[in-house]
Amino acid sequence: MVVLRAGLCPGLTEEMIQLLRANDIRTVVDFVSSDLEDVAQKCSLSYKVLVAVRRVLLAQFSAFPANGADLYEELKSSTAILPTGSPSLDQLLDSGLYTGEVTELMGAPGSGKTQVCLGIAGSVSLGLKQHVLFLDSTGGFTASRLYQMLRAQAEDEEEQAALQRIQVVRVFDVYEMLSALQELRDRLSQQVVSSAGPFKIVVIDSVSAVIYPLLGGKQSEGLAIMMQLARELKTLAREFSLAVVVTNQVTRDSSTGPLKPALGRSWSFVPSTRVLLESKEAAWEKATTQRVASLAKSPRQPTGIQVELDIG
Amino acid sequence: MQRDLGSLPLAPALRARLVAAGFQTVQELLETGPCGLSKEIGISKEEALEALQVVRQECHGDAARTAGGSGATRKCTALELLEEEQAQGFIITFCSALDNILGGGVQLTKITEICGAPGVGKTQLCMQLAVDVQIPECFGGVAGEAVFIDTEGSFMVDRVVDIATACVQHCQLIAEAHQEEDNLKALETFSLESILSHIYYFRCRDYTELLAQVYLLPDFLSEHSKVRLVVVDGIAFPFRHDFEDLSLRTRLLNGLAQQLIIVANDHKSALQEGKEHSSTFRLGSAIGLAAESVPSLLP
Repeated sequence: MVVLRAGLCPGLTEEMIQLLRANDIRTVVDFVSSDLEDVAQKCSLSYKVLVAVRRVLLAQFSAFPANGADLYEELKSSTAILPTGSPSLDQLLDSGLYTGEVTELMGAPGSGKTQVCLGIAGSVSLGLKQHVLFLDSTGGFTASRLYQMLRAQAEDEEEQAALQRIQVVRVFDVYEMLSALQELRDRLSQQVVSSAGPFKIVVIDSVSAVIYPLLGGKQSEGLAIMMQLARELKTLAREFSLAVVVTNQVTRDSSTGPLKPALGRSWSFVPSTRVLLESKEAAWEKATTQRVASLAKSPRQPTGIQVELDIG
Repeated sequence: MQRDLGSLPLAPALRARLVAAGFQTVQELLETGPCGLSKEIGISKEEALEALQVVRQECHGDAARTAGGSGATRKCTALELLEEEQAQGFIITFCSALDNILGGGVQLTKITEICGAPGVGKTQLCMQLAVDVQIPECFGGVAGEAVFIDTEGSFMVDRVVDIATACVQHCQLIAEAHQEEDNLKALETFSLESILSHIYYFRCRDYTELLAQVYLLPDFLSEHSKVRLVVVDGIAFPFRHDFEDLSLRTRLLNGLAQQLIIVANDHKSALQEGKEHSSTFRLGSAIGLAAESVPSLLP
């Protein structure tokens, strides 16, 4: 729904636009879907010029079909699989986090989502030496814990470098989160062709904290913003070959019902993989670092498989 | 900047009109200018000007951040965060066992929640912390002030006087034992009157007052920049009764939570919440999953 403007393509002049507007043709869609002979007559414009303009507009604004074999080749060359730092979780995710996709970790408070996110950030930064963008919306990012995790795996010099590759942005509002993602997009598009660009993974902890205050009630604004965020995440993942990891809360329908992911049915279409984290026993009775991760949605593995995870 | 209009904080009615008129990205909007905009979508020139100002502000914020400008106050690498965390002080509770499990005391820039059945000592602990935050740095404290938001009316000033007197005496004993210059100088300003005058007390009777108080906190804290502790005693209390619309309650609690996190993070203060329990045996929180997910430390 782009508005017709002078200079949008060669041959589209200001007088043409005024004439078209007088006949109710204001956007590219209106122009392209109208009968050009009719328009040429009503606006007294040359038919050839109109056809040329339409060709250019279609070339500029339409999506081109690609064939499956090309897509497959492209995927093979651009997709990377990032290790999460935990072998059992890697096994659950079919060897790791795939770039170009959104993966979701969901769980009750205290189930270990932030710990797993820290582990992922640490492993990508230390093991693969790639940059990580961590968007923290809950204030739960603890650098000392990350340092502890890295110490357990590496020598002294490497940890400092690894910590420097992890960029942390604190966003407590959905508009700030969208600004941060826009900024990432600008930075990545300025990097010319290099596929080993600065960032390979974006971790967002958590998405529900910024969306929950907006959902529900009579206005549908919350839903609109949530879908805007969803679109931004998916296009970022696809266009720049990033792996996007988000965390989400869980809710229940009633106090005894089963756990289900928060943010509703609309959000459930966004991530391609969903992992549910749970504690093995009630958290307060025994202090335990054992968690159970089960696969709730996946394009590659059968759902329902469970593995044990140690977040200690 | 090819930023989509849907991601900007514009009023819903305005956004609907812009989309209907065919505007999609920020650039198109900026190119039109306020007069063209008011003609195209049928709003007054002042509204068009306001909308363009909001858009420009967001975009300049973006541009400044991309260029590495000083607008990026909340962006840093993990290494810088680690250094910040290691340099941060704790608010000691004067109970060494509790300090141990908390890793040194109540952490700044984080939210700590205290839950317990009625009568177990939550308000007492909150009052103790409101005094402890004021301990001068030479005695191991953070030398800050405290904000106490009370929703249950359980704040007893005479009890705070007892606690403060004991704290001052404790510090005097330490000063006498060590006989250092700074200690004695600090003790001159650390007295009962100064402690009490640096606890800012707010009484909120229902959830609207609580929400209003929390949303007004950032302004208050920018005037009183020495505040290092905000206590909300009884965060569940105003939300437990008389709430027919449960989804509204969840929304409000989550909004409140985010606002508290912003306060804790931006003003480098610690937040304490005392939470009441329903007196059943199940030791779960009274509000459930929505509110539990707020605090990052749960003693």
